[in-house]
Amino acid sequence: MAYVSTKSTPSRKPPLNESTPLGWVKVNMFSTLFSSVLSIFVLIAIFFTLKSLLTWGIFDGVWIADSRRECFSISIDGACWAGIIAWFDSIFYGLYPRDEIWRINLGGILLVIWMVPLWLPRVQGKVFIGFSAVALYPFLAGYLFSGGDKGIFVQVMISGAIVCIAALTINAAIGYFKNDNLANFIIQRLGKNDATEKQQRNILLGILAACVVAVFIWQLSWIEKSISWTRWGGLFLTFVIAGVGIASALPGGILLALGRRSKLKAVSILSIGFIEIFRSVPLITVLFMATTMFPLFMPEGIVLNKLVQVIIAVCLFNACYMAETVRAGLQAIPKGQFEGAHTIGLGYWGTMGLIIMPQALKHMIPNIVGTFIGLLKDTTLVSIIGLFDLLNILRTISRDKPWLGLHQETLVFGALIFFILCFAMSKYSRHLEEKLSTSHK
Amino acid sequence: MATGVSGSEAVRVKPQEKFNFFQDERVRSVFFQILTVAIVGWLAWFLASNTAQNLDKRGLSFGFEFLDLVAPFDPDFKLISFTAGVDTYWRIFIIGILNTLYISFLAIIGMSFLGFSLGIMRLSNNWLISKVALAYVEIARNVPLLIQIIFWYSVIYAVLPRLKQSLDLSFGAELAFLNIRGLYVPWPVLGDLLWMTFLALAIAAIATYLFRRWVQKRQDLTGKSFPLLLPSAAILIIFPGLVFLLTGSPLSWDIPELKGFNFVGGASLPRAFIALLIALIFYHSAYLAEAVRAGILSVNKGQGEAAMAIGLRPNKVFSLVTIPQAMPAIVPPMISLWMNVVKNSSLATAIGYADLVAVYMQTSLNTAGHAIEIVGMTMGFYMITSLTISGLLNIYNKRVQLVER
Repeated sequence: MAYVSTKSTPSRKPPLNESTPLGWVKVNMFSTLFSSVLSIFVLIAIFFTLKSLLTWGIFDGVWIADSRRECFSISIDGACWAGIIAWFDSIFYGLYPRDEIWRINLGGILLVIWMVPLWLPRVQGKVFIGFSAVALYPFLAGYLFSGGDKGIFVQVMISGAIVCIAALTINAAIGYFKNDNLANFIIQRLGKNDATEKQQRNILLGILAACVVAVFIWQLSWIEKSISWTRWGGLFLTFVIAGVGIASALPGGILLALGRRSKLKAVSILSIGFIEIFRSVPLITVLFMATTMFPLFMPEGIVLNKLVQVIIAVCLFNACYMAETVRAGLQAIPKGQFEGAHTIGLGYWGTMGLIIMPQALKHMIPNIVGTFIGLLKDTTLVSIIGLFDLLNILRTISRDKPWLGLHQETLVFGALIFFILCFAMSKYSRHLEEKLSTSHK
Repeated sequence: MATGVSGSEAVRVKPQEKFNFFQDERVRSVFFQILTVAIVGWLAWFLASNTAQNLDKRGLSFGFEFLDLVAPFDPDFKLISFTAGVDTYWRIFIIGILNTLYISFLAIIGMSFLGFSLGIMRLSNNWLISKVALAYVEIARNVPLLIQIIFWYSVIYAVLPRLKQSLDLSFGAELAFLNIRGLYVPWPVLGDLLWMTFLALAIAAIATYLFRRWVQKRQDLTGKSFPLLLPSAAILIIFPGLVFLLTGSPLSWDIPELKGFNFVGGASLPRAFIALLIALIFYHSAYLAEAVRAGILSVNKGQGEAAMAIGLRPNKVFSLVTIPQAMPAIVPPMISLWMNVVKNSSLATAIGYADLVAVYMQTSLNTAGHAIEIVGMTMGFYMITSLTISGLLNIYNKRVQLVER
């Protein structure tokens, strides 16, 4: 006796297949009734938003016109991009004399040349590249941008910077193509492979000194026209403030964070006070403080210009935020790392510089970049106290007679620039985090 | 020999007798501390003496007497009355603080609701919804707040109708109006006996609370649930409502009316206020959304699955199991975001909303001078607010930690 079905059981429907486009849509957008209704609603909303945005910005947008009135005569509802095109140079360079714009461009290109080796494989001495970019580049760029007479200190630093960028570029080329570094390369070319380390070092230092002296003599005749900071503006000024802020916030933040965690009571109390004061007030109050109180703080005869005041304020403010980011990274380092470092005989600075900081900073890359992004966005605040940064230039357009009342277009353009910069930074930080991660996945 | 290693066998290392003064850790510690304090002290003295000299040279004085002086201007927006030419700078300071707290309060409520919704949307199974939320978050976070504020300010100006064509928000009843200058709404005028209604409301609230506790207790003991929502609502509405009617409805409304070139009566919110509020909510809710998302993701997946296994419905799983466990991870960043709202409301000064910075640190400083005192007082306010909020945060953290064993 057996019960055997004579008919085969109908097979079940296959589960929804996500690999076909239709199946994917069904699973991810129309899985339930509620979800379907929402999806349809959102689709309609997206459609109309995009449609009106594109109509406003592109289809009805006016690109060539001499005034806002003319824009209106062409298209009453469209965006008037002509105003932005007319002001294009000012948006990027402010009131910088048009004949001298090459100086800003050159400064930017030099920075790129300086930094590019960081991203090339096989290049050696990357820590030095980063360090020198912070320590030497500002002098070269600062002179390029402002011109005028050079003090002796600035002259030496400029010479050093020029030698440095040349050496770094050659070093990068040697590293990339021959997997070697500049120092070894020179020694080999001179046939001094067998010399003692001390001799080799002396040779290299001699060459370096000779180069610096040569450049120093050359640069004595290099004089650029002086351009007052009041003519700096636009995206250039935004980058200057953000750049100096970024370059000084990280070192400052590291020092403050170490101070805060220091065993020395006086140091830690002072650090905590400093950090907490700046973190608890809005940046705009710090900027107002800088412009109203710094003149009172300075001894007689010393007058800081507004740009310097603002940059000092931005640096102090962001160093404190960076300090908290770095501190969070330090707290995440297990105690064994400190103990291990002590066991192999490292002192305080050795422990911090070689063992703890590299790990802590690596952990906190997204947060550090997040602070940088915040800094870049915060530079817009300088427009409130009257510097002509990107935002202020954009707002000036709407006060310019032909373009009177041109608000949305300029702000959308500014928003777009910031969005691209900030979004790229945050995406890159995620990438960097994954690349540097040594943990098991 | 009882002990394995006796004194004679073990090699004793004698502590180094030579006391190197410069290598001793304690000496160095004291030395560096004294050095730091000396440098900072010198810097402070240097700045203070320069300031004193500069003040002297310019014939300025330090002191808070200016607070009793009459302020020659009138803030655009104020929650308490102010008469230009009669009231003092101290009152300006208070008005600024109130304005800052007022807009921060509204923005905090708005951004908390929006942020939570967005955070949950980010985790939606619906691909479209989560991507829309993501786009919102990325745009709001990567565009500077100041640009957003000015953008909304100009959009409101472009979109809203002029004074004469004011938009009637009450569909023809002429109660609330929206135009290029701002929002005009009716404002309650409190009657004499209204306190009785408030009293009734308080009593009803206590009664509801007790009722809830009773229901909870009963459920814990017997497992039987008792309808909660409807009876509570009934208590809260009917009792105060009855008292209100019995005392003769002691409440009237001051309705805005177009007279000449402006609306008179009611309460008004200027354009700058609305723009700032929208921008603050838009900007900070994006950050909160990320915090909420991270908090929810930090809850162990097994928790939700276990709750499903014991038969809870998905929304119950979410509200009874996931969210309560996510809160400890969400609240700390949320509270620091609240603090950011208070601080960022100071950007009002760019569009002319009369917050503390605009009205005190800018206008008052320009008319009264006394930079040090005014900057100090303004910063002091923000510091005190910040300390209060972080104090609350610490209390919360302690409580959560106790619950967590």
